[in-house]
Amino acid sequence: MTQTNIKNKTFVDLYSGTEDFLLPHTVRKKSVNLFDKIKLPDNKTENWRKFKSEPIFEHHYSLGKKLNVDTKDLDSLSFFEPSGNYVILVNGFFYSGNVKKPDLNNNVFIGSLKDAQKTHPEIISDRLHVQNAKTENYFSVLNDAYAKDGAFVYVPENVILDEPIYIMHFIQSDNGNIFSQNRNLIIAGKNTAFKIIHTYHSLSSDFSFNNSITDIFADENAQLEYYLFEGEGNTAAHINHININSEKGSSFKSNIVTFCGSAVRNNFYAEFKNEHAAVDLQGIYMPDKEQTVDNFIEINHAKPNCRSNQVFKGIIDNKAVAVFTGKVFVARDAQKTDSAQSNQNLLLTDYARIHSRPQLEIYADDVICSHGSTTGQLDKEALFYMKTRGVPEKRAKTMLMKAFLRDVTDKINADRYREYVNFLISKRLKGQSPESLCAVKVCPSC
Amino acid sequence: MLKITNLKAEVDGKEILRGINLEVKPGEIHAIMGPNGSGKSTLASVLAGRDIFKVTGGKVEFKGKNLLNLIPEERSREGIFLAFQYPVEIPGVSITNFMRAAVDEHRKHKGLDPMNASQFLRYMKEKKALVELDAKLEGRAVNEGFSGGEKKKNEIFQMAMLEPDLAILDETDSGLDIDALKVVANGVNKLKTKENAAIVITHYQRLLDYIVPDIIHVLYNGRIVKTGGRELALELEKYGYDEIKKEADKRF
Repeated sequence: MTQTNIKNKTFVDLYSGTEDFLLPHTVRKKSVNLFDKIKLPDNKTENWRKFKSEPIFEHHYSLGKKLNVDTKDLDSLSFFEPSGNYVILVNGFFYSGNVKKPDLNNNVFIGSLKDAQKTHPEIISDRLHVQNAKTENYFSVLNDAYAKDGAFVYVPENVILDEPIYIMHFIQSDNGNIFSQNRNLIIAGKNTAFKIIHTYHSLSSDFSFNNSITDIFADENAQLEYYLFEGEGNTAAHINHININSEKGSSFKSNIVTFCGSAVRNNFYAEFKNEHAAVDLQGIYMPDKEQTVDNFIEINHAKPNCRSNQVFKGIIDNKAVAVFTGKVFVARDAQKTDSAQSNQNLLLTDYARIHSRPQLEIYADDVICSHGSTTGQLDKEALFYMKTRGVPEKRAKTMLMKAFLRDVTDKINADRYREYVNFLISKRLKGQSPESLCAVKVCPSC
Repeated sequence: MLKITNLKAEVDGKEILRGINLEVKPGEIHAIMGPNGSGKSTLASVLAGRDIFKVTGGKVEFKGKNLLNLIPEERSREGIFLAFQYPVEIPGVSITNFMRAAVDEHRKHKGLDPMNASQFLRYMKEKKALVELDAKLEGRAVNEGFSGGEKKKNEIFQMAMLEPDLAILDETDSGLDIDALKVVANGVNKLKTKENAAIVITHYQRLLDYIVPDIIHVLYNGRIVKTGGRELALELEKYGYDEIKKEADKRF
């Protein structure tokens, strides 16, 4: 037996016994078999070359249990509005104790995916698992095979929500290292408009590994804003898959803040299922120490007249590594595709590293596709200019770094959440370590 | 206020300043003129503390302190202001935030509490009026997308905000049309008091019609080769730098 399969077995063992899994038996059977054979991605696996999966396996994990969260921890997340609509998951399990039930009208559903399988079988069944060879990998197969629960958000046709919906994940340990998985499904029905704030936090300083998949459906003319916050602590590894299915005329706007995590890999896959849809992905990442943040983005322009935009900015400190891969595929008949991509990085030390790879694969001839990548240090001329006005170097640097991120953070169209993000960025740029900032009990009012 | 003695500086091993002597007293306006490449902007940069220039000799005393021992931000807080020939664009930093930080630091240096938001905005409004800075610029990023005139006005605005003892205006007239030039010069004149001083660096005499200097120096090949009153500028305007160059070449 190869070494990788021993690793696979460790995960399988976590799930021994008669378990209640999320995916239907027929699908799972295939995934379980596949997982048995599939190898951990390494530096020879295209698309994963620069991501080091091995260190995740240096620790022994036990499967996270359904545990309680202290509502005080929620209060300290200042972007969170307890009066709003939310779903909380602990170690990947729906948490219903001690929190308000969402106050819902218009047949909106916000809650456990596992529960919703009983109440919304017809809606969920054909969307829960869309087989896609493009997105399949070791971790996605592991999730397919063994995920047990996650969040389900369903906003039916023509519903417009002003207040954001929160999906909040917590890693909580009672004793030892935690492995957890979650599988989330977001359906934005025809002509809907709403925002989701999807956050990941850790309440434990033990090592953890979180393996997530979120499938998102933006149906015809849906206008969805999706804010993702990755703030699990510095002992947390997080593999996050986000799959976006864009229908005709839909708009998906996203902003991803990767703030903490020892190793974070985001796999975004967006596919245009019909014409005149738009996908906007913006992100910032600020790895420190020996952290790795790897954003892998693939946009499939399968249909004509669609627009996609990627703007990712990173500030990389110490010996941290960031990876950005922006793949854009334009099918032969996807004429009038408009796709732009930009990745900008600031390296704060001589050891910090960025691997930035735009990959364009274009088969149509009437398209606009642009891409650009820059890597550098802070502008020395600007620094000198600021200093000649009396601003000390450290403060000037902080201002320049904030400014660097500003055009991305300014686009966060949810005030309280934007303030929270700006607050954390400010603290961080002023030199506060990510460990202390990723603890949940940090907030403007704490 | 400022006493420069035999100042020598080089960049990349090339000597640019070859022994500058200059004394500026409170209330004075000095103009430094000279042909291109004479070292005018280098002198301004050395005084502001730009580190690409290496000072190889001489002394600079400012208000009794050894200026060359201070880092740029300390020089600013001590009262030196350099209006840049090419003001730097700082995308993402608004003029308001930038000036807030600068004024805070200056006040801290003087042992004063920071201004509160409304005090600061009032102060800024007052100073803006002085240089006729367009109100819509204040929310914009520093110098980003500004016209040449707006950039220079913004320099004088910052000078007004920081109230320096010694302002060094490096080619402030370059790239300005006559109207903008008048506004900028007017701002400088309004800021002038008996206690502060200014060094106006310029290639042309045009600016000196509006900012009238007490003393004019001609810088050539890294040395001040001629010093005189206002009539020197008119002479230069008429005959150019050739005579002075010839004379200086003989002497050094």
